[in-house]
Amino acid sequence: MSGALEHRLADLVADVSGGEISAEQALAGDHSLSALGLTSLAWIRLIDAIEDAFEVDLDLGGDLSAFERVDALAAHLSGLLDAR
Amino acid sequence: MTPSTTPATTPAAVSAATRETVSVPFSGTRDGEAPLTWGQRLMWRAVHLMGPSQSFLNCPWVLPVHGRRDLTTVLGALGRMLERHESLRTTFADTPHGPVQRVARGGELTVELAPAGPDGPLGTATRIAAELGTTVFAHDADLPLRCVIVLADGRPRALAFAFSHLAVDFQALSLLSAEWRALLRGDDLPAPEWQPTEQAELERAEPFLARSRRSIGYWRSVLETVPLEVFDHPPGEPEEPRFIEVGMESVALAAAAVRLAERLTISTTSVLIAACATVLAVVSERPRAVMQLVHSNRRDPRTRPLVATVGQDGLLVLDLPGTGFTDTCLAAHRSALMAYRNAHYDPFEMQAMRAEIGRVRGREPDLDAFFNDRRGDGTWPNLPRLTPGADLTPLTAQTRTYVTNAWPGVRFKVFFTLGTAPDTGQLSLIIDTAYLPRERARAMLLGVETLLVRSLTEDVPIAAVRDLVQAETAEESGTSPGGG
Repeated sequence: MSGALEHRLADLVADVSGGEISAEQALAGDHSLSALGLTSLAWIRLIDAIEDAFEVDLDLGGDLSAFERVDALAAHLSGLLDAR
Repeated sequence: MTPSTTPATTPAAVSAATRETVSVPFSGTRDGEAPLTWGQRLMWRAVHLMGPSQSFLNCPWVLPVHGRRDLTTVLGALGRMLERHESLRTTFADTPHGPVQRVARGGELTVELAPAGPDGPLGTATRIAAELGTTVFAHDADLPLRCVIVLADGRPRALAFAFSHLAVDFQALSLLSAEWRALLRGDDLPAPEWQPTEQAELERAEPFLARSRRSIGYWRSVLETVPLEVFDHPPGEPEEPRFIEVGMESVALAAAAVRLAERLTISTTSVLIAACATVLAVVSERPRAVMQLVHSNRRDPRTRPLVATVGQDGLLVLDLPGTGFTDTCLAAHRSALMAYRNAHYDPFEMQAMRAEIGRVRGREPDLDAFFNDRRGDGTWPNLPRLTPGADLTPLTAQTRTYVTNAWPGVRFKVFFTLGTAPDTGQLSLIIDTAYLPRERARAMLLGVETLLVRSLTEDVPIAAVRDLVQAETAEESGTSPGGG
């Protein structure tokens, strides 16, 4: 499940970045999404896209490091989905 | 498109010789009426708050005429531009049910013709565009753009525009520039699929309404405790006009911001926000900076190609860390993301909440401190190439500051704008001279530059920034440090 979730999130990253970041680069996790060039606007688009796709409400009030890598983002999202 | 000898009537033309005018007819695919989009609602409120000073909101713009085109070709391209984008043939009216946008299917735009001056076609167009922007639009009657075509050697060479901010934002203007060459060629461009009336419909339904509620909740949490004033000190005797804009052009500022952004893996926008917020916090003698961020807001894929005003304001809350500027940059980046995230709301609902806070707290908190990055892609594409790691301090000797404009009533206390110049850091600051003298404004701009340049070689402690700004102020006003 986690692998599928990560792939789907990586596809969303590629989509919101307008192709600047490939799904493969996002999945590889060698660099943070910021280091790969995810702009602030693309980052907000990613949050919107995740909320729309998974019908969750992402809380950005605290540590944002969970949103910098696809694997951490998938783990965070899994927790939200399991809690429903 | 028959040239006539009708005298030009716009005030911008009064100082020029009587200009020949031509008419550009347009015929779109539909007309219509709809509620305002959120972006339009923000601007609707702004133009009414500013009254006669709302010309501040007008958007001057210049398009070059690529290749050897005759006047008929250029007028045809201009007509197609109006036909493609409904925002450019929209007027705005107040009705008993609230303000509405009214799209005209057909009509004509009167365009003036002007000869190029000694500053060349583009220089002339830039100057005329600025002149055109000084006149307020009658939003219920005027098309939301004015145009003068600059001629040289009998050919059209550039177009000078002023657009109403109710019609476009700077992202929209970049989109117009991007398609202009194709329009001149007569390319058969696909019709835009998304217009402001569709956007207005979208914003009246979920999930947009939920996002609006969440954004307003975030703003409410800030407004419940934010200081009621931007500055604690009382207003003094202002200059006349009261609000002035001081500009700065600094290659050093841009080069330093690029290096810091690369080092910290954040955007140059975040670096500039951090520096401007730090300087504001120091000047206001508070540990927290609260600023509105003008945000492009083109987060929905359908709004990316939309020629309209889409931008909204986010609310940045930055608590200065007790350490140095590196931590400030990282904190500003996180705070800016929170601000952008909560910059998606119905401005009328937002205003209702702010009024409610005002009733509870005795008055609405003053949030008139702003930061706006007008660069389309957040870069300086033509910045001079510098030796990597070279000391930027000598470059600051080339920095120049100047007063660019003045208004009687734009209402801002502090408004930083990062301009679109591709080859230099163009940072300007509007101040309310009742609260800040003009030498302090120059000092704040130079303080931002110095902070960024010094941060390349040391992690500047926040406590040192106060000395920086005070030293710059003293130099500008000719007093000892601590004065002004």
